[in-house]
Amino acid sequence: MTELDETIERELEAMDEAIERGGVTSNVALERELQEIALAVAWDAPEPDPAFSAELRERVRGGFERQDRASRFSLPALPKLRRPPMVALAGVASVLAALAVAVAVPLLTQEKKEETSSSSASLGAGTAAQELSQAPRNSTLPSDEIEPSPGVPQRDSGSTGGFAPGEDARRIERSAALTLEAPEGKLDRVAEQIVTVTDRYEGFVLRSNVTSGDDGIPGGEFELRVPADRLQAALRDLSKLGDVRSRTQSGDDVTRAFVSAEDRLEGARAERRSLLRRLENAETDTEAESLRSRLDFNASEVRGLNGQLRDLRLRTNYATVNVTLDQNTEAADDEDSGAAGGDGLGGALDDALGSLSASVEMLVRALGVLIPVTILACLLWLSGRSVRRRRREGALTT
Amino acid sequence: MTQATAERVMPRAGETESETFEALYERTFPKVYAYVASLLRDRSAAEDVTAQAFERAYLKHRSYKPSRGTPEQWIFGIARNAALDELRKRKRRAGLEVDPEDLRAPTLDDHAELSVRREVVRAALADLEGPDRDLVALKFTGGLSNAEVARVTGLSESNVGTRLHRTMTKLREACHDRA
Repeated sequence: MTELDETIERELEAMDEAIERGGVTSNVALERELQEIALAVAWDAPEPDPAFSAELRERVRGGFERQDRASRFSLPALPKLRRPPMVALAGVASVLAALAVAVAVPLLTQEKKEETSSSSASLGAGTAAQELSQAPRNSTLPSDEIEPSPGVPQRDSGSTGGFAPGEDARRIERSAALTLEAPEGKLDRVAEQIVTVTDRYEGFVLRSNVTSGDDGIPGGEFELRVPADRLQAALRDLSKLGDVRSRTQSGDDVTRAFVSAEDRLEGARAERRSLLRRLENAETDTEAESLRSRLDFNASEVRGLNGQLRDLRLRTNYATVNVTLDQNTEAADDEDSGAAGGDGLGGALDDALGSLSASVEMLVRALGVLIPVTILACLLWLSGRSVRRRRREGALTT
Repeated sequence: MTQATAERVMPRAGETESETFEALYERTFPKVYAYVASLLRDRSAAEDVTAQAFERAYLKHRSYKPSRGTPEQWIFGIARNAALDELRKRKRRAGLEVDPEDLRAPTLDDHAELSVRREVVRAALADLEGPDRDLVALKFTGGLSNAEVARVTGLSESNVGTRLHRTMTKLREACHDRA
């Protein structure tokens, strides 16, 4: 009341005093008049009808049960609904929205990441397929299996493969690319396990390159060949060796190239039989010499086609798996990580820490959404309340 | 008395003990009704609104927090909201608006002079603006202190004092004019 003018304060006090004492007490004319008006208003207060008072008293004593029961009987389909607590509803909505976003964001991010990896890995797979056609020259496979035959043009799988109607046994050249992240200090161990898994599935390592230690960026590249019919199982086991950052698979139908080479080989063999028959029947030396020369050329062609078929069989019987191994630099404390195949108490503890870390990550994401959503919800609620209040007060103005 | 209404959930300001909802009702009902009736100027509507206000209060009485004010303020706040909602409804159905009625029948004790004075004040009061009439009703009909009126209306206490004084001055002048 310190902000009020002294006169106002005194007159207000005079009115309060009159109400309290039940009569006019001031000697000042103006104050007396105000006291009289205040008393007139107070004494003129409407009194409730006794019947209504008694009825309401009964309802209060009965906890308003009767009315509730009556409304339930009269409106069975429309039960009386209390206004829902808006703050609680806003809170629940905020939590749900935050959870939805927290779950959706990592999934979307992961999908996007995989899409990006997929496009680059597809290019890599194409290159790998091309390399495979040249691979025999570089690999440790037996030379009789891999040496390309002279005189036979090396065909790119992309141009020779494709649609070959009527062929039931399709020849598919399969390839996969996998990016693994090894825990800190476990790069060599994971690299060894990659070789172990490849051996387990009767595959072989065509090329490998692992960098570890303090010099250079730790990581590794592996080019594996795995029997095509065991590719999925091998990929599954390889994926367990570390955190999978991306995984891409592709298939290239080379049936047409295969059938074409087979046909050409059959033709060359038929020609060889014909040339041999003609050589037997040759009457002059010149004719015989000419036929021998053609037979030499034919033999070269047959060898080349055989080599091409062997190459295609190898490419379709064995899938190419390119594994990129990275070092997880973020998990510096992840010694003996369960993700790298660690087990026992250490692995369990690491798993627990990993789960805890994931939970905290999820919580932070959820809070990142929850806090602004809650603030927004609170602002909306406050503004809604303010509008409601103003509308109510507006009823007094007219 | 049922267990629900006998349950002690309504602490009074300045008291360590709490009172039952029924006791609160007995204590506040006449004032609440008087306030609502003064605001609505319709006995039937006042009864409905008062009953509705107490029912709402009963449904919410477990969530009552003393930090939000005394039980009287709380009840008056609910009653005021219910009365304002009723006034809004009336605005929407303007054609059905009732005329102000004489809510208090004169008693035998009423002296002629006092009766005249009351009539003049009543008429002047009826001419006041809604917010002013609301303040006067809360203060003198409901019997609330300035601080309690401030709490119920959401105004500051000094603002309530100033506006109340201005309204009473207006009322005094109106009474002079009518006299």
